[in-house]
Amino acid sequence: MTQLPMIIQRLSESFILNGKLFALTLLFSIPLGLIVALGSMSRYKFVQGPVRTFVWIIRGTPLMLQLIIIFFGPGLLDLPFSWPGGDTGRFTAATVAFVINYACYFSEIFRGGIQSIPSGQYEAGQVLGMTKPQIFIRVTLLQVIKRIMPPSGNEVITLVKDTSLARIISNKEIIMMAGEYTNQGLIWPLFATGIYFLVFVGILTLLFARIEKKLDFFKA
Amino acid sequence: MSILEVIQLEKRFGGLEVLQGIDFSLNQGESLAIIGSSGSGKTTLLRCLNFLERPDKGRIIVNGQVIFDADDPSTQREGEVRKKRLHFGLVFQSFNLFPQYTALQNVVLAPKLLAKELPDFTKNKQSYFNEIEAHGRTLLDQVGLTDKLGAYPHMLSGGQQQRVAIARALALEPDILCFDEPTSALDPELTGEVLKVIRALANRNTTMVIVTHEMDFARSVADRVIFMDEGVIVERGTPEEVFGNPKEERTRQFLARYKESN
Repeated sequence: MTQLPMIIQRLSESFILNGKLFALTLLFSIPLGLIVALGSMSRYKFVQGPVRTFVWIIRGTPLMLQLIIIFFGPGLLDLPFSWPGGDTGRFTAATVAFVINYACYFSEIFRGGIQSIPSGQYEAGQVLGMTKPQIFIRVTLLQVIKRIMPPSGNEVITLVKDTSLARIISNKEIIMMAGEYTNQGLIWPLFATGIYFLVFVGILTLLFARIEKKLDFFKA
Repeated sequence: MSILEVIQLEKRFGGLEVLQGIDFSLNQGESLAIIGSSGSGKTTLLRCLNFLERPDKGRIIVNGQVIFDADDPSTQREGEVRKKRLHFGLVFQSFNLFPQYTALQNVVLAPKLLAKELPDFTKNKQSYFNEIEAHGRTLLDQVGLTDKLGAYPHMLSGGQQQRVAIARALALEPDILCFDEPTSALDPELTGEVLKVIRALANRNTTMVIVTHEMDFARSVADRVIFMDEGVIVERGTPEEVFGNPKEERTRQFLARYKESN
């Protein structure tokens, strides 16, 4: 038990990697997801088709497999591109895989949200002489945000726990760290990692509840 | 002088001819009621006037200016259309208020956005906005909603929402105000308050095109009536002519059916 403070410290430090991966994934996958959503709604078939096929492939294969392909793929295929060496390369590859994967999931949430807005809202904006960007920003955007909040909350919470998959390409995140103790015969650090995820998800749940309450002033 | 002229308008959806050879004109200050059964094309006609549908053939002329010509693509460019549709205002059957804005915000949003395009906007922003807000309050006062300025649509009854929608359409001072079955989505006891507002507009000589199923209302408010069936204008005239002494068999049948159902 004398190890306790040290183990806690090392678990906490490794959880920073989960947190960083979480934050970077959200930061990039949300705007990318919006672009993918617009692509999958494009009236041009040569845009819509490939985008939807891409979303199908990403959502249809395990994130774990995608991590492996993105990290090892360039080397195995002899591509002129390679990840930076060491931890930086592993983390960058993991971030790229997560961003692509989550962008595809977010894109479907966005698409659903955008398509659920009644056409009367667009038409009302049009007959009032608004431009398309004005209609999007002033009329539909907030309604879309309100509608996508619950499914987005789900996705964000899933992301917290998914970050531990980054260990498959040897990112030293919290479960991998705890695993090292398990290998030495010490099992409780692995169980303890659950507390980190629980607390993190708890905070996010409160945050989402607050946002939803803030958007409660109107019904849509 | 006619403020609106519609010449040989045609619209088809796939193989279905929804409008065929629609011709009519409307004088400044007149109100025109368009009646007819569902599927007769009257709503499509209104949507064509408001550029929500693109007619396949024909022309639309407002104040002597050709604002739409099916044979002239230059009249159909996006930027042009946006300005030109402001000749018309449209009140929808289902109100289509913006849910995240209060009654007053719904009314002033579009005028404020348009004011931003004025060359001296940055200099006079505050005075423009004050003017627009004052106008918005006046309009909501006119439709009897002085005490609902800050209410969001979901707090309002259907009749109140439709009155906000009318004020919103009036805020841009259209030459011609169109109504697409403005009371069809309302509970029967709420139609009266909306019809009263439209009647008041007619008394102030607002030029209006009203698609409606309220025959008694059309008869008492409209200066002219058009009866449509299967995409064509079957009969037209004063309310006395169309309702009192219809010449066409189809009109007679339609009016008889309507009387029966009431």
